Amino acid sequence: MNKTTQIKQSKKMGFKELKDKYQLLRDLMDFIPDVIYFKDKQGRFIMVNQAHAKGLGVTPEALVGKTDFDLFPKNRARKMAQDDAHVMNTGKPIIDKVERATRPDGVDNYVSTTKIPRYDDKGRVIGLIGITRDITRRMQFERLRKDKLCVEKKLESLEELSAMKSEFISTVSHELRTPLAVIKGLVTIVFNEVVGQINHKQKEVLQKTLDNTERLKKIIDDLLDISRIERNTLKLHYSLVDIVDLIKDSEGFFIKLAEEKNICLKYVYPDEPVNVFIDADRVRQVIFNLISNAIKFTMDGGKIKVEVKILESKVRIGVIDTGIGISRADLSSIFNKFTQVSKLPGAENKGVGLGLSISKKLVERHKGEIWVESKAGVGSKFYFTLRRFYTLDMLGKSLRNKVSRLMKSGISMHFVSLLILNCGEFRKRMRISLDSLFKDLHAILVLVLKNAKYAGADKQAMSVINPRAGKFSIILPGASSRQAADISNLLKYKIKQYFASNKVEDVFITIGSLSYSQKVLSQDDGFSPSRFSIKEIYIGSEMRRFKRLSFKTNIKLYLPDEKVELSESVDVSEGGICLVIKHLLKTDSELKLSFAFPENKESIITAKVRVAWIKKIELLFGEPSEKYKVGLEFINLENRCKKIIRRRLLNKS
Amino acid sequence: MPKKRILLIEDEADMVYALNLQLEAINCEVLSARDGQAGLDMARKEKPDLIILDLMLPKIDGYKICRLLKFDEKYKKIPIIMFTARAQEQDKKLGQEVGADAYITKPFDSKALLDKISALLKK
Repeated sequence: MNKTTQIKQSKKMGFKELKDKYQLLRDLMDFIPDVIYFKDKQGRFIMVNQAHAKGLGVTPEALVGKTDFDLFPKNRARKMAQDDAHVMNTGKPIIDKVERATRPDGVDNYVSTTKIPRYDDKGRVIGLIGITRDITRRMQFERLRKDKLCVEKKLESLEELSAMKSEFISTVSHELRTPLAVIKGLVTIVFNEVVGQINHKQKEVLQKTLDNTERLKKIIDDLLDISRIERNTLKLHYSLVDIVDLIKDSEGFFIKLAEEKNICLKYVYPDEPVNVFIDADRVRQVIFNLISNAIKFTMDGGKIKVEVKILESKVRIGVIDTGIGISRADLSSIFNKFTQVSKLPGAENKGVGLGLSISKKLVERHKGEIWVESKAGVGSKFYFTLRRFYTLDMLGKSLRNKVSRLMKSGISMHFVSLLILNCGEFRKRMRISLDSLFKDLHAILVLVLKNAKYAGADKQAMSVINPRAGKFSIILPGASSRQAADISNLLKYKIKQYFASNKVEDVFITIGSLSYSQKVLSQDDGFSPSRFSIKEIYIGSEMRRFKRLSFKTNIKLYLPDEKVELSESVDVSEGGICLVIKHLLKTDSELKLSFAFPENKESIITAKVRVAWIKKIELLFGEPSEKYKVGLEFINLENRCKKIIRRRLLNKS
Repeated sequence: MPKKRILLIEDEADMVYALNLQLEAINCEVLSARDGQAGLDMARKEKPDLIILDLMLPKIDGYKICRLLKFDEKYKKIPIIMFTARAQEQDKKLGQEVGADAYITKPFDSKALLDKISALLKK
């Protein structure tokens, strides 16, 4: 609305209305944090708001009639007057002009200035309205955003470079293999006297040549491995393996190698088989790397021990030597690419420094941990863990026989293995005998098979029941994967129902499945399934599945010399506790520990623990200290404490 | 004519083996040392007619050994051939600076090496 109409309107308004309207405008002026002012044509302040006056340390009234020249240094005032003049002469407003002013303490302040001309009712300029807003925070934010974009761009180009480098390594390595293969082939031809007899000396020369082509091959293979691992194109082929068997396989080879240097190599195994679900070739690679390193870096007459230890839900493999050890300075970078530490004389062992870094990546791909404890001049202890595949001796002899008969007739099959983890407990709770329990389960199976429409002259499901061991194995020859999946899912459901109807509610039933793709069973009986799949159904009570809880609480870990209080996340099960600390502990060392669950601070649990495994946590940028995740096993936990933990674990379900 | 004595300071056993065969074939007596310190000691004790010096050695590196021998009145006349997988320009230059008489990169051409040796031994 134009000025005339405005004035007419205001004349019509009553006093109260005017007063109210005035108060609104007054509030705007007084409470807005922006600086607002009105100037006349000569640049004198007609009115200013509270923010403006406060900023200059005076009252609004004191500023009336003053100009910028009275308040600011001459140069600055001149610039302001120039802007004023521009606005008032051209009628063009200045909107959101960003200006910088440096405070006396050196800090930069940014303001946004807006100046708008004021007109009388005849359209002539009579002054201006100014608004100044402090935008220092906005500018800081802008700068941070720009920095962030810059960093992101750099990161992107670094990642690209890294990818290019990996690809380069891969291409070159492949190219290197070809001439190497030719050399190996040709030398072998002469060595094997294919092109004529050779004398003993010549044979010696050629043997050394072949040894060196093997060295070269290993280096190229390592390079290819590391580049594949980094580009995430390394495929793992899993199978169920007894880790003890896997290690025993190469025992002979390593003992012989160690004997050449007069090193005593000892193996220590647990009494039972330890099943793990791994890529056997790759884990073999890790073991090969660790043991051959141990042999390389141990002097003549030294000792090496390879130890397989069963932990709660993992298995730990340790290679402990009395070799030259690793200095403190090198310890933190020992698993890095291309690091080589000072060697013993005898450079035939020089590799390209990738072995440990590949081993680390492979172990981590298997969701395990790898770490080292070492003292220069004393020796090194390398450890790595793998997750245990919780199953008992999967294929008992009677079953193996049945299966191999089928295999020989060329029939493919699926396998469902039902394992009741704590059957003794269940049958006690249901008050029935083991045999009745299994009779009931068998009846359920027959029903399920009927419903799945699986049967036929050639397709007879076979089952082997072993109530003592809590096992129930079912072979489904000629079943399709779909049928096998349907049958196991239905079985799981029906069994859960069965237990529920017998008032056993906390039963957990899980189905795992694997397919055997390579020779995994004992070599002796000639049993080599080329492809069959296994579904494992585990039945147990919730708690016994080594249920874990995570929460934050204060834990006191008593180190050999001082107390450490931690309040990092913690993971507890009946067997042990897993936490994050700043101290580096020694594997297998024993310590005391005390903690309480957050909701139950009065019941303090104290325990003696043993260090089972250690994982160094990769430092995030900016974090000053080292952090480690450790797994601690309870040693002889008091019954009182066991009860507290058990109760707590049960509640959480 | 007495056999010329050549000292090999090289930690790679197979390389020593290979060089040994070649040098015996041209009627030279071969001495060898597997690390820098042992090589230096042997050079001073035995005063060979020629030294073939690997650069990447444990204990003392080849450049240092070369400098120590060449800047010593008693041993500076012994010709030294530097022998290494490093082939960058700056490595060769460094070799010259410490007084090496020749610089051969691995893998090497055996004829080239033997020619070099003969030339240096004739002086």
